[in-house]
Amino acid sequence: MKIKLQLIRKMQFGFGSAMAILLVVGVVSYRSVLASRDSDRWVGHTHDMLENLGGLLAGVQDVQASYRSFALMGDERFLEPYRLGVLHVGQEQMTIRSLTSDNPNQRRRLATLEGLTQQEIQFGDGVILDRQTKSEAAALQQIRLADGTGIMEKIRVVVRDMKDEEHTLLLQRDAEAERRSRQTKAVLILGSTLGLLIAALAGWVVKRDYVARVCAEQLSKEAGAKYRGLLEAAPDAIVVVDKGGEIVLLNVQAEKQFGYRRDELLRQKVKNIIPEGFAERLIADGTRSAAEALAQQIGTGIELSGRRKDGSEFPIEIMLSPLENAAGILVTAAIRDITTRKAADKHLLQKIAELKRSNEELAQFAYVASHDLQEPLRMVASYTQLLAKRYKGRLDADADEFIAFAVDGSNRMQGLIQDLLTYSRAGNNERSIGQISSENALREALVNLRARTDESGALVTHDVLPKINMDHSQLVQLFQNLIGNAIKYRSAKVPTAHVSAKKGIGGEWIFSVRDNGMGIDPKHFERIFVIFQRLHGREEFAGTGIGLAICKKIVQRDGGRIWVESEPDKGSTFYFAMPEGKAPDGNIGREHHAN
Amino acid sequence: METLEGNTMPIEILLVEDSPGDVRLTREAFKDARVLVNLQVAVDGEEAMAFLKREGKYSSKPRPDIILLDLNLPKKDGRAVLAEIKEDPKLQTIPVVILTTSASEADVLKSYSLHANCYITKPVDLDGFLKVVKSIDGFWLSVVRLPTGIPS
Repeated sequence: MKIKLQLIRKMQFGFGSAMAILLVVGVVSYRSVLASRDSDRWVGHTHDMLENLGGLLAGVQDVQASYRSFALMGDERFLEPYRLGVLHVGQEQMTIRSLTSDNPNQRRRLATLEGLTQQEIQFGDGVILDRQTKSEAAALQQIRLADGTGIMEKIRVVVRDMKDEEHTLLLQRDAEAERRSRQTKAVLILGSTLGLLIAALAGWVVKRDYVARVCAEQLSKEAGAKYRGLLEAAPDAIVVVDKGGEIVLLNVQAEKQFGYRRDELLRQKVKNIIPEGFAERLIADGTRSAAEALAQQIGTGIELSGRRKDGSEFPIEIMLSPLENAAGILVTAAIRDITTRKAADKHLLQKIAELKRSNEELAQFAYVASHDLQEPLRMVASYTQLLAKRYKGRLDADADEFIAFAVDGSNRMQGLIQDLLTYSRAGNNERSIGQISSENALREALVNLRARTDESGALVTHDVLPKINMDHSQLVQLFQNLIGNAIKYRSAKVPTAHVSAKKGIGGEWIFSVRDNGMGIDPKHFERIFVIFQRLHGREEFAGTGIGLAICKKIVQRDGGRIWVESEPDKGSTFYFAMPEGKAPDGNIGREHHAN
Repeated sequence: METLEGNTMPIEILLVEDSPGDVRLTREAFKDARVLVNLQVAVDGEEAMAFLKREGKYSSKPRPDIILLDLNLPKKDGRAVLAEIKEDPKLQTIPVVILTTSASEADVLKSYSLHANCYITKPVDLDGFLKVVKSIDGFWLSVVRLPTGIPS
């Protein structure tokens, strides 16, 4: 469009200026031709003047010669040439008058000349009359008188002046004509050259632009084909709808998805294929500017229901984007059949529910099993202990040993079951999540650990600790287990533990418990958090290997993480990161991760 | 009949407990504590109520000074037994000690709301159990003053 306009403007300008120049050249040439013809006429004019002047002089001489001859001879035959001469003179004078109409100088001279010829003719008439009525002598007397006036001489002088004037004018006009001719030539050559140059330039520009335009058109045609191809190759059904809700463009996927032929859908109401939600949206969009609508709708998929030609409905996701063109605002809708996705979603939700149920069952199982095992185990333990109490030393040595093993085994089993119960309860209890002071929690943990800190002389320090969103008793348990471990797995030195907290990325709080204990080989970093996994024999350290598993469960239950950094003999630092916001509740995947 | 020196009257105790192991263990614990008790046993809730109301074969049974009640019982649940005792004007003054394996908060709360006099979770080891039984004797049977006889 634009290219075309520019091209036309360039053509107009280029050829217009060339034409103007050539027109000027034409005008100049025409005027030159006129001037040249004028010049020729002037040459003719001068010739005529010279001839007429010559004729006039000859006429006057004829008049003079005729009346003198008559005066001498008295022969009437001389009167004829005299009359002719007078006539001739009159004619010549008339011609000269007409030729000198535009030249006041010559006119003046002509007047003088006419006066002189008049005098001469009057003399002639007088001489002829004297000869006829008086005598030869009287006539000759008259001639002598006339000669005395020198008229003829004066006539000659005037005629010569007039001839000179004509000659001068002729020369001037020749020079003028010559100059003009040179000018014309120059104008012709220059003008023609310039005109041709401009025309050539314009031609070149137009040709160049035309080629560019043709190229652009070709490209645009190719691009159009490409877009068309793109439209057809799009994985989604694409339907373009005008503001009235009529379909103006669609692709092959749209035909397939809705089961119509293209011509059946074109100019049809979009309500026929998307009964609800789309047309209403168009109306709503009508009240907004395209830019606003565009800003709002990019990337927003609306889930609606599509209707096929056979009337069956299927779930669709539809993305709208306004398209402004010459015809007004159109709305492009990319429509995706999400039947599969919906089914997958449903399947996934089912699986999640199943998983949740199975996890709950597993947790319930662990609890019930450990709880119900406790009863018979209590019997075994109590009676073996009673046996040991009542009968130690009263049976033989073997019996004492056997009873001792039975007591030890049942005690250990009780420990394991107790821990299992604690573990399955951790995070499953009713929790009260709210802002709690982690410093208070630490203080309470230290109170619970007092016996062990007193016994070991352990020194526990801490920085200022924040308020966090967590269950108080669980945080107490967490600190208690970690600091308990710091004391339990101490080195030869007096045990120390330092608790601090800092803000991590994303607003989480990262707590650390740093000790100067025996440290942990990095290869065991994962294992220590697994339930009943221990790095030491029962003879070295008591316990079932539940403490860190419980820590992990507590932390993960609230969406946090727990990890350790350590080197053997250089102490360990346990970290746990708790998210800042309200902990997500009932996240099954995390809750029972350690099970 | 266990006898403690200086105490002429044996203390009447009703133990409501379905597990013979626990019954024997309780008996042994009183023996160990050298407390003179007359320990009667009911193995389910219905029997416990019949005993307390002296129905049928229990007509000649004595009114217990204290009841040790397990919560999980066959036929009639311990909680129902507790409720019936505390609703019966003739029985409600008898102290009821809930002695159970359950450590559940819900059970503790429920029992006290039904006016149990105290709630004890059975310790899992023998020494702990002996201590508990000894302390029941020490507190309920020696320290606490209980009403004498049946309210009119």
